[in-house]
Amino acid sequence: MRWRSAAGLGAVILLAVVLAALLAPLSGYDLVTDVDPGRAHLGLSLAHPLGTDHLGRDVRWRLVFASRAFAGPGLLAAAVAGLLGTLGGALGGYRGGPLAGSARYLYAVIGSIPRFVLVLLVGSVYGDSPWVLALVVGLSYAPALGEALHSRVASLRRAEFVRAGRAYGLSDARILWVHLVWYASRALIGRHLLAVFGYYVVLESTLAYIGGFGVQEPMPSWGNMLVFEWGRGQWLALLAPAAALWLVVSATRWLADALEDPLDV
Amino acid sequence: MSETLSLTGLAIRGPNRLLVENVSLSLAAGRVTALVGPSGSGKTLTARALLGLVGFKPGVISGTLEAGGAHLALTHATPQDYRPLRGKLLGYLPQGARASLDPLWTVERSVGASAALGSGPNDPSHWLRLSGFDDPEQVLRHFPHELSGGMAQRAALACALAGGSRFLIADEPTTGLDPTVQEGILRHLTRLKARGLGVLLITHDLRLLPELADEVLVMAAGRIEERVTPEALVAGALRSEAGVRLLEATRTIASGRLG
Amino acid sequence: MRIQGGSALLRALLARAGVLVAVLLGAVVLVVSLVHLAPGDALDAQGIPEALRPALEARWHLDLPVWQRVAIHLGEVLSGDLGTSLAYRPGTPVAEVILGPARRSAVWLFSALALTLTWGTALALYTAGRASAHRVALRTVSILPVFLLAHLSVNALNEGAFAAMNAGWIDRPDWFALPDQASALRTALAVVLLAVGSGGLTEVHAAMERAVTSARRSPWAEAALARGEPLAPHLWRHLLLALTDLSLHRVAFLIGGLVILEKVLLLHGVGFILWDAALHRDSPVVAGITLLAAAVLAVVRLAGDALRLTLDPRLRSDP
Repeated sequence: MRWRSAAGLGAVILLAVVLAALLAPLSGYDLVTDVDPGRAHLGLSLAHPLGTDHLGRDVRWRLVFASRAFAGPGLLAAAVAGLLGTLGGALGGYRGGPLAGSARYLYAVIGSIPRFVLVLLVGSVYGDSPWVLALVVGLSYAPALGEALHSRVASLRRAEFVRAGRAYGLSDARILWVHLVWYASRALIGRHLLAVFGYYVVLESTLAYIGGFGVQEPMPSWGNMLVFEWGRGQWLALLAPAAALWLVVSATRWLADALEDPLDV
Repeated sequence: MSETLSLTGLAIRGPNRLLVENVSLSLAAGRVTALVGPSGSGKTLTARALLGLVGFKPGVISGTLEAGGAHLALTHATPQDYRPLRGKLLGYLPQGARASLDPLWTVERSVGASAALGSGPNDPSHWLRLSGFDDPEQVLRHFPHELSGGMAQRAALACALAGGSRFLIADEPTTGLDPTVQEGILRHLTRLKARGLGVLLITHDLRLLPELADEVLVMAAGRIEERVTPEALVAGALRSEAGVRLLEATRTIASGRLG
Repeated sequence: MRIQGGSALLRALLARAGVLVAVLLGAVVLVVSLVHLAPGDALDAQGIPEALRPALEARWHLDLPVWQRVAIHLGEVLSGDLGTSLAYRPGTPVAEVILGPARRSAVWLFSALALTLTWGTALALYTAGRASAHRVALRTVSILPVFLLAHLSVNALNEGAFAAMNAGWIDRPDWFALPDQASALRTALAVVLLAVGSGGLTEVHAAMERAVTSARRSPWAEAALARGEPLAPHLWRHLLLALTDLSLHRVAFLIGGLVILEKVLLLHGVGFILWDAALHRDSPVVAGITLLAAAVLAVVRLAGDALRLTLDPRLRSDP
């Protein structure tokens, strides 16, 4: 029961983040970009429930706007990984043969380069637009999903229930996509997609924190919100983005843990 | 040859019901005691209780074990209490012999590790020969996944005996093997019995019993329903409902008549 | 330990090595193509004066069509020539730029790997099969990204030291203030955070806990227990096997984390260079480091495969 409620909370958090990213622009960007040194380092108040940062900008609104930095690209990355991994893994695992062989070879080649290194390489050559980064992340996660799905489909292909289905006259397409992919592997796929989204959130804030790649000031990211002169007792400004990051990454884990894989032992 | 191992008043409780109730049985050197009954009647659980392997709470709630001059209250026995028992006095041949061998160890290493704990010979070949391998050298360096079902069964038997046990629990030793191999195992158990081994044979296949068993306990729903001789079994003189049903099923299958 | 059928082991290992070489070749093609297929060229990014362009273009073959450039570059890489740095340290051979720092990074990387594996396994042996608050605490901390862990711990250390100095409890420590001062503390911090962060430690712990539990519950463990044998001689092999599988996953992941930590904690390793070279769009250096990382990964995978094949007879038997 405890995991159920954690999973519900996770779903709510992820939904809220995506909604925030969609709705935030309605209130106008000047809300987060207007600098006013006179209001710097304000504590908690009704007007600024999370205080203001070192440039006098409202922390709450920057926190909300920062979701735009990763929500869309994160979803794109998950979609790319899901599409490439599912297609290659499922078809390859079900049919086998040279097609499956080449899909697995491509997966192995992409998987042979550490993910973050690949992101930096592509970011350096093709620019650091979030959509480019999302594509790379999606691409670099396709092998993990593809391989997992490949081995599951390949092992289930000869299972009794699949033979029985074929004997009943079900088409291969129906057996593969409805039974093997949807019923037997949806939790597996879902967990991978959540991992991709979580990775993108972390990647985005990491790039913005170190600086040079990704979101740049004055646009907010949970990464660059952490960058300011330390030692001024600004614990709230430090903790708010850190807590938000922890919450969203944890949410993806909670939800992933709650997906029930019928083949988990 | 009068050594005995006896269990008195065993009761085991699961999370929400009584699984085994008031089971008493005794093993004697050179005798085969058969425990028969349908699946789920508590046969394996009884055997595991003898070795302190009931792995759930509350588990064993009553029962005593007397063996080798020692008296053990099973309700609060510690792993230390089982030390002189496990492997040394009472060997265990579990159901599914292949899975009971460490997949990363050769037969030689598995049997050797067991033999090293006992007071008998340390040479694995000795125990393999005792378990029915005419040429143990053939299997010493093999891993469990490389053995046939019958070979795995005999290798597991060697492990169970190598600690020097004078009693053996054989849990469904013939299940899943083809008839000729089954026959080989039976013949071998008979030979071990003749050498003075006391055996608790757990099975749901009554066909094994007439040649091998000295006493048959029919178990159903956690209780021992009746105790009969194999002769009575052959004559069909079973009174308990469970025993009658088991006997009928065996006859139907043996004669090839169904329905 | 005796290996039955040494030739089977060798055959399986050679097959794995062949696959890894093929994959590594594919990685070289992928990286080189990625660099050359980009719109514009490296010179655009560097703001080279127009007058110098033709000479430089000829030198770096930028006047040739893409496929020829890819072919030439591939030939160079395969003959061991990674080219020269364009912008990060112009004119210096890439190998010279990256090899020294790469050695330092390798030490940090494998220290962190060893730390995360031993720490995670020790915790798993302790928590397996019992309810424990450690699990939740571990998850809560370990899930934080490494940059955030570094940021929080650096701030906490600095604030703590600052407060202690103000109160007159301590003199100014020689590492103060992180991360500007080079110190052993900074390196140790990087290794520890790399072992813990971005879900690393909790994942090792969870995987090893699963391995311990499934080994203890297995029929062979129960049979060994019934024979009165201690489990440890059985268990270590199974755990080592699980650890090998696990380290193959963790290394790639730790390489990414190390790049980040080197940058955040200002450690001069190859990850630090990677970041700066990427910012400077110095593609030969970036490509060189990428290929080095892929090569390290391939070597680790081969070593892991050798260990797995040695430990697990089931993997080396011909189907």
